[in-house]
Order: sequence, then structure tokens, then C-alpha cells
Amino acid sequence: MTVKYKTIKEIKQMISQKEISNKEIIEEVYKLIDENSHLNAFVTLNKDRSIKKAEDLDNNPSDSSLAGIPIAQKDLFCTKGIRTTCGSKILNNFIPPYSATVIENLENAGCISVGKTNMDEFAMGSSNETSFFGNVHNPWGEKLVPGGSSGGSASAVAAGIVPAASGTDTGGSIRQPASLCGITGIKPTYGRVSRWGMIAFASSLDQAGPMARTAEDCALLLNEMCSHDVKDTTSLDENIPNFEDSINEPLKGKKVGVVKDLDLSSLDNDVIGVYENSLQEFVSLGAELVDISLPNLSLSVPTYYVVAPAECSSNLSRFDGVKFGRRSENPKDLEELYIQTRSEGFGDEVKRRILIGSYVLSAGYYDAYYKKAQQVRRLIKKDFDEAFSDVDVIMTPTTRGPAFEIGSKGNDPIQMYLEDLFTISANLAGLPAMSLPNGNIDNKPIGLQIIGNFLDESTILNFGHMYQTKTNWHMFTPEGVKQ
Amino acid sequence: MDKKTVTTISYLSRLKIDSEKEQKIVKDLDNIIKFVDQLNDVDTSSIEPLTNPLEKTAKTRKDEVTAKNLKKELLEVAPSANEDYFLVPRVVE
Amino acid sequence: MSWETVIGLEIHAQLSTKSKLFSGGSTEFGAESNTHVDLVDMGLPGVLPVANKEAFYKAIRFGLATGAEINQVSSFDRKNYFYPDLPKGYQITQMTKPIVEKGSIKVLTDEGEKLINITRAHLEEDAGKSIHDLFEGETGVDLNRAGTPLLEIVSEPEISSAKEAVAYFKAIRQLVTFLDICDGNMAQGSMRCDVNVSIKKSGDKELGTRAELKNINSFKFIEKAINYEIERQIRVIENGESVVQETRLYDSDKNETRSMRSKEEANDYRYFPCPDLLPVVISDKELQEIKDNLPELPEEKERRYISEIGLEESEAKIISSSKTMANMFEKASSKTDDIKLVAKWLVGDISALLNKDNIEIDESNLSPENFGKLIERISDNTISGKIAKSVLEEVWENGSDVDEIIQTKGLIQIQDESVLEDIARKVIDSNSDQVASYKSGKDKLFGFFVGQVMKETQGKANPKSVNEILKKLLK
Repeated sequence: MTVKYKTIKEIKQMISQKEISNKEIIEEVYKLIDENSHLNAFVTLNKDRSIKKAEDLDNNPSDSSLAGIPIAQKDLFCTKGIRTTCGSKILNNFIPPYSATVIENLENAGCISVGKTNMDEFAMGSSNETSFFGNVHNPWGEKLVPGGSSGGSASAVAAGIVPAASGTDTGGSIRQPASLCGITGIKPTYGRVSRWGMIAFASSLDQAGPMARTAEDCALLLNEMCSHDVKDTTSLDENIPNFEDSINEPLKGKKVGVVKDLDLSSLDNDVIGVYENSLQEFVSLGAELVDISLPNLSLSVPTYYVVAPAECSSNLSRFDGVKFGRRSENPKDLEELYIQTRSEGFGDEVKRRILIGSYVLSAGYYDAYYKKAQQVRRLIKKDFDEAFSDVDVIMTPTTRGPAFEIGSKGNDPIQMYLEDLFTISANLAGLPAMSLPNGNIDNKPIGLQIIGNFLDESTILNFGHMYQTKTNWHMFTPEGVKQ
Repeated sequence: MDKKTVTTISYLSRLKIDSEKEQKIVKDLDNIIKFVDQLNDVDTSSIEPLTNPLEKTAKTRKDEVTAKNLKKELLEVAPSANEDYFLVPRVVE
Repeated sequence: MSWETVIGLEIHAQLSTKSKLFSGGSTEFGAESNTHVDLVDMGLPGVLPVANKEAFYKAIRFGLATGAEINQVSSFDRKNYFYPDLPKGYQITQMTKPIVEKGSIKVLTDEGEKLINITRAHLEEDAGKSIHDLFEGETGVDLNRAGTPLLEIVSEPEISSAKEAVAYFKAIRQLVTFLDICDGNMAQGSMRCDVNVSIKKSGDKELGTRAELKNINSFKFIEKAINYEIERQIRVIENGESVVQETRLYDSDKNETRSMRSKEEANDYRYFPCPDLLPVVISDKELQEIKDNLPELPEEKERRYISEIGLEESEAKIISSSKTMANMFEKASSKTDDIKLVAKWLVGDISALLNKDNIEIDESNLSPENFGKLIERISDNTISGKIAKSVLEEVWENGSDVDEIIQTKGLIQIQDESVLEDIARKVIDSNSDQVASYKSGKDKLFGFFVGQVMKETQGKANPKSVNEILKKLLK
């Protein structure tokens, strides 16, 4: 009885049918982590505590929704007493005295946090090549990137080590790695999940979400992750439905928006083919395709690359070597303390974004860049609001293609930024969006993005789950198709 | 975006760019700014900037002391501290 | 050459809330270092601010009392700079939309009453403290104060002399203490101010370049610093040079202002709206409640004391000018019927003691209850006014209860006429020469007999009775 490649639902069944003990599950997870160490998906392991928690569960079984389920936690979430690095040298030794609300929610539901996953430094990146702890590799091919910034989480799930992982998404960091690794991940509506304890990159864009093997599992995880948190005033105080309730609703009569202004010319024919096949799949499930227009969509990448760096340049000012984190050796004065600590502690991409951020906020440039970008942002949001008066969901490819090789985006940062072409707009508008596997090109998976209306994760999950009852792309693993 | 601008914003951000990397950074930043310049083509004359996607207002707290004394834990995670204070090199006013 | 001075003040008043502006950390003064630091105050990764509504209410009270416009929807901006006592590397403040705008306050100057306009008052968080002198080569950082709510009050540049500046600052201080929004404790740093000073030739329309004098904490030093700076600027211009726009520190030992290091000029604060804080709304209902519950201000108190209680204008003015005096007066008055006597003692003996010890009344050992009791005991003739003075001194020293002192020291006034008459006769009998002199016309000797009776009774005789008895016996 192995837990490799199993979903949460399958593991729960194994536990309830006493086919495996909680301890055996956790022990196997650590064995799998070991066997897959070449993936470099994990930064810190939580072995002793996890095994103890599993033993306790074997002695005192619990019926909480995630009891005994091993979950990998992205190293962007503060975990009390467990090192939290955010993929950065500057937090190399940081042990937070408190845990993020998301972590507490998942652990209160019974899950076992087996370790912290590797990620692009401070969540800035789309390939997990900027981590201080080294690149993460895609289980589908060692030379391939897993995507980013939640590369470690995606890789761990795709390799079958854990059934689920937590991720965060600021411009696509859950969806893009989900696409490149062949798994399912959802970024909920901005404000659904508390940001307390989530190390901030861009405060108005960041959102945590689940990464798993199926839409069904994502629904279960989302149920536990979402909460209204008084410690986070940007956390929504709206009714949280049970996201599993409507996943089986028939899609007949539901409308799928297909974006007219989407520039697919840069995509390979294979990719376009995969995408169009998925749309047809939804037609055969009863849905209707509707042309919609998002006229300002092409501006989403430049808008994002003004807003996100601006916010991060301010959010990262707290990393100054004074109160926590790493400090440079023997600074001769205060200036040197700041400059050396930060220059030594941050990687190149982080520095680039901080510099851009400071620039677009500086006197004389604020109106032309930051204010302008915030205005375009409102236009992009308006486009979506109008589109959703005609359709239930909007679909696009998640990424321009399957996983690319490590090092291949080379020297041009903008090439890397364009990886997020399809995903960024959902963050700017604060809307929920999911990626699920919809094809395989040269033995590399690729994903479909489903964007939903404000607070409408249920409809997205419904579409995703129905697709997964009819197709088996989500059953593909690097070792073959699951039976 | 030129070397002088990069030096100014580097100081504002308390970052030092190694001289070998300097040229590339100036070029990268220049390219990024040129890339985002396309925003200028959009007419946004009567549009209100969007700071946060939630069109709502904040909940507030009651005026009560809820924090515990965390002195020990906080000074423990500090890179340099004695029993009472966080320490930095002497600041000259 | 005739010069005019143009001065503007930026006053930072610490709001007297229990907890901080964006966290549940305590704002209590004087605590052991780093014990009132919440996770949010520390700026740890992942923490988020949540606004304290009471701070808004206090700011609004200030706006209402100065006739200002109240912005019921408040938004916040980040001011970005690096300093060890600024944990997040930015301060949350209100740059674009302050909660209070365009108010005014009456200031008493040598030339009479002047109205000074207030440009704005906004909420922002205070930084921690950097302690430079404790350690060799190092600076210690105490973050207790980080996050305390401040109301930054900015005046229009309408102040024209150092004296006027001090008068304005005093007026603001009086207002914020009466409104119960700030304790006005200068020594504890509850109120600090930065002063912008420039000069121009009389009649010139254009303002001169201004220098900013930072962080001056006493009225005396504000006046000295401004006067020094005015002289300095005049000297600079008369030398043919220009005044540099810069920040200067006041050195109270040398009585001079010095240019701060140029780091201030290099600072671009890159203000932008704080994305973690959605706007805070004060409803119409809340606003009305604040209006309805606005504390009584000095002018109203003065009027009430004169018209309803019947105090003299001079007394009313003194008592109503200080929140602590007014509090003492009103509380003590509830303990006795002789309110006018309360006022007399407050303005007289007690004020003298306050001046001698250089403290505020609420820092003394005299409680309102005890004070009220003291006046009551005079009023009901338990003790004489003269004895009361010594009782007051004792209470002042160690806060003992008035009745206890009277009992233990046996200070109760001798009222018994027969007892007094016996003593009076005794005095008369042992001083026959003086009696003769008095009866032959030396009226002034009456005081001598009174004195002797008082001496015999250790001052406890009821003076009025003594007078009457002696008059009768010496006829």
C-alpha cells in the first residue's frame, strides 16, 4: 500500500479502511522525500514532530476533514518554531514566533505539515530559479523548471510525495507551476484566505491557495484554508460556502467565456490544439462557448510590473538586519549595516524589483508610473466585471507552453515576466482562478486556466471537477498514467 | 534610466550594485521601464486609481491592550541585542 | 532694514489611547524596554495593521473643537525611509487625505487675541526610541513607543514671533488636554514640535527660504531656538548669502541651532497608499455621538464658573485654564458646600505650593476628596483658616487624611466660649500693664491680647469668638 501519487480522498479512504496507519503514511512520505532529493523541493523538514503527530492520531483517531493528511507548506508561510526562509539568504536563520493563519487552519483540520517547500526568492519568479537554496527540478524532467514561485510545492505534489501542498499566487505562482507540473491549483478570490503570517510580496495581489492532484481535493483544502481573520483587515467577511457542495452540478446551460482579444500567436500549434480540445470537451459536457472581450488584457503584464515591484520595494524594507533575519558581519556604521545586509541577503531578481519599485514611486515618476498603473488596473477589473455579466467562467491556456529548460530564459528578465501573460490579470482584478492539467506535449504536461467571478470559486471547482470526471489528464504522472 | 538614476534609487533602497553587474542592471532596468511605458498609450483621464481590489472599508479594533510581553522572544531572534535593547552601530545625529 | 518673521509649527501630540494605532500593544509610558512590543509593532514578516477606532474619535474631537472639516473616510499612506527605530522601514501616515482639515484656534498674544489657522491634523504612528549614550560604539533600540498614535497638527505659517509660537503651542496643549485626547506631558514627550522659520523684508509678498528646527520639547527652548534662528538668518542675508532650506537641531547648552547631516535632503519618501489598510469610515451616527459628548472647554468652564457658581473673573480664569486645576476644583466642590472657598484656596495657597514644587496638581499628594474635606472643616468651624494651612502642608507632604491629622494633632478649634473666656481672663490678669495702656488709648495693643490667647491655645481658638470675648472683657 503506497501513498505515492494518491489523492487526499484516496488516502482518507485508506485510513478509514485501516489499510495503512498514520505513522506508515508519514514514514513513507519521508522516504519519498529522500528518494526525490534531486528535485530539491524541500528546504526544511519537520520529521520528528510529524511522526509524533501521526503516532498520536493512530492512538486517538480523529474525524477532522484532513486528519493525518501529509501536506507540504510553502516556505513563505510563517510556521511557529520552524525555520521560514522565503527562499532567501536574508531569512536563512529566521524562526518565527508565530504561525500563519492558513497554517493554523490546515493543522486544526488535522493535517501534518511535513516540511517547508522551496520557492523563488520572496515569491519573485516563474521558474524557481531564484531561490537561495538552489533550483527546484520538475519531476517530469530533471532539466526542466517546475514553474514558480511555488515550484517546490508543485514539484512535491507532481512527484507523488504528498497529495497536497500550500502555495501562494501573486501573478500566477500557484497556477503556472501547476500547469508545468501537471497538477491542479487554485488561487481564490482576493481576501478569501487570511494573509496574516504570509510574508508579503505585493499586498494587494498576494493570495494563498491549495495545490493538489484534483479539483475535488482543492475544494476540500479550500474549505479549511478560507476564514475571516480579524488580524487581516483585507480578509473578507463574506459567507464561505462548502466548496465541495456543488462540484457535481451538470454544466448544461453554463457559459464559458472565450477571450477574443487573446493573442495566441506566440503559442505553438500544439498548445493551441490542446487548448481548443479542452474547450470542446466542455461543450460536450453541456456548456456553451461565448465570445467575450477583455480589451485591456494585454496591458496586464506591464501594469503588474509597476504595481507589484512598488509594493514589494516597501514590504521588503523591513529586512534590514536590525531586528530579525541575517545581518552582515562587522558593519562599520549604520549605513553599511543596511547596505551590506540587504545587498548580501537579496538575490538579483529581488534587487531588480526593489529598484523598479523605488523608481516608480519616486518623486517625479509616481504619477506617470504608479498612479497610471493603478488606473489601468481599474480598467482591467472593469473589463472582467462586464464580461462576467454574460458568462459564468472565462477560460484561457494557463501558460504559453509546457515546462522549459532551466537556464533557458537566460538574461532577459522580460522574457520571464511574459510567462505570466495569462495569469496576471486575475490577480490585478482580485478574481479566483484555477489551473488544471488538460494535455501532454512531448511527455510534458500543460494546463488550462479557468477564471471565475468574484467569490465564485464554487463554479470554477464545478467546471474543473466535471472535466476531471470526463478526462484523465490529471491521472498522468511522470511514471505513467494512474489507473 | 541611467547610471546616476540607478545610483540614487539604489541608495534609497539601501542596496549596493557590484560594479561588474552595474552595466547589466542599468540595461535591465532600462528595458523594464521601456516595457512598462506602453501604459502611457492608454487614456485614463477620468479613472480613479485602484489600490486594493476589494471595494470595501476596513474593520477596526477596540481600544484594548491585547499584546503580551514578548521581550524575551523578540530579543532572541535579533541579530544583535543585549538583555534590553536591539543593538546597531552607533548612530550619529 | 526691517524684517518680518514667518513661523509655522508642526506639533506631534501622542493620543492617549490605551493601545497603539494599529496593534494591541500598550501605550503606557515608562515601561521596561521592549515589553510593550506587539508582533505588529515589530514589523515581523507577515504581520498586518488593524486600525484602533478610538484614535480616530480623538482626532475628530480635535477637529470639532477647532471648527475644522472632518474627513469621515480616512485613508493611509506609507512614508518610506530607513532608521533603526522604524521597524517596518516605513511609517503609516496620512499624506493625501488627513482626517482633519482647515481649523483654527484663538491665541492670546501681547497684542491681544489672534486667530491662527490650522492647515491640517492627521493620524500617524510614532517610531520607537534610539538610545545613543548607553553603550560604547552602539545605539540601543527600544520599540515600546513604536506604533503609538500621533496626531500631527500643522499650522499655517501665520505666527510672527517666538513668543507667539509659544502662545500657540500652549493654546494647543490646553486644548488637547481639555479634550482628553493627549495628556500634554512635555517631560514625557507626549507633545513634541518642529518649527519652520523664515524671514522676509517688511512689505515683501514672497516668503523667504525656511529652515526646520526639529524636535524641541519645552516652551522655554522653543522661544530661545526661534529667536536664535531669526538672528542667524538675518546675519546670513545681511552677509550677502542665502538661507539654505535644511533641518537644524537646537543645542540648548550652547543656545544655537546647527545643521543636521544632509541625509534629510537625500530622502525621497516615495509616499503611496498603504495596500494593507482599506479606508476607515466614521459613520454619521458616530460623528454625532462624538459631538454630543465633547468635553467642556476652558472658555465654557470660565463662563459657567462666573455665571453659575459666582466666582470672580480672575479666579475663574485661572482655574479654567488648566485641565488638572479644573478637575480638582470640580471634584473637590462636590465634597463641600463652600465652593467659593474651594476656589479661593486653589488660586491662593495651593497654587503657591504647586509653583514652589513645580508640579501639576494631579502630581501632588492632594486628592480632590481630601481637599474638599479640608474646605468643609474650615466651613463647619472644626478648624480655623490658619490651622488649615498647617494641615494642608502636612497633606501636601504625605497625602494623609485631613480628619486623621486633625484628630492626631488635636487641632480641633476651641469653640467653647466659657473655655475661651477663662483663658482670656487669665491673659488679661497676667498683663495688667498692657491692659492699662490699651484702656488709655493704645488700640493697637488689641492684637497683642489676641496673640496671647492664640498662644495659650496653640492657635486652636476660634478667632472670631476670641475677638468678641476680648472686646467684651476689655471694655
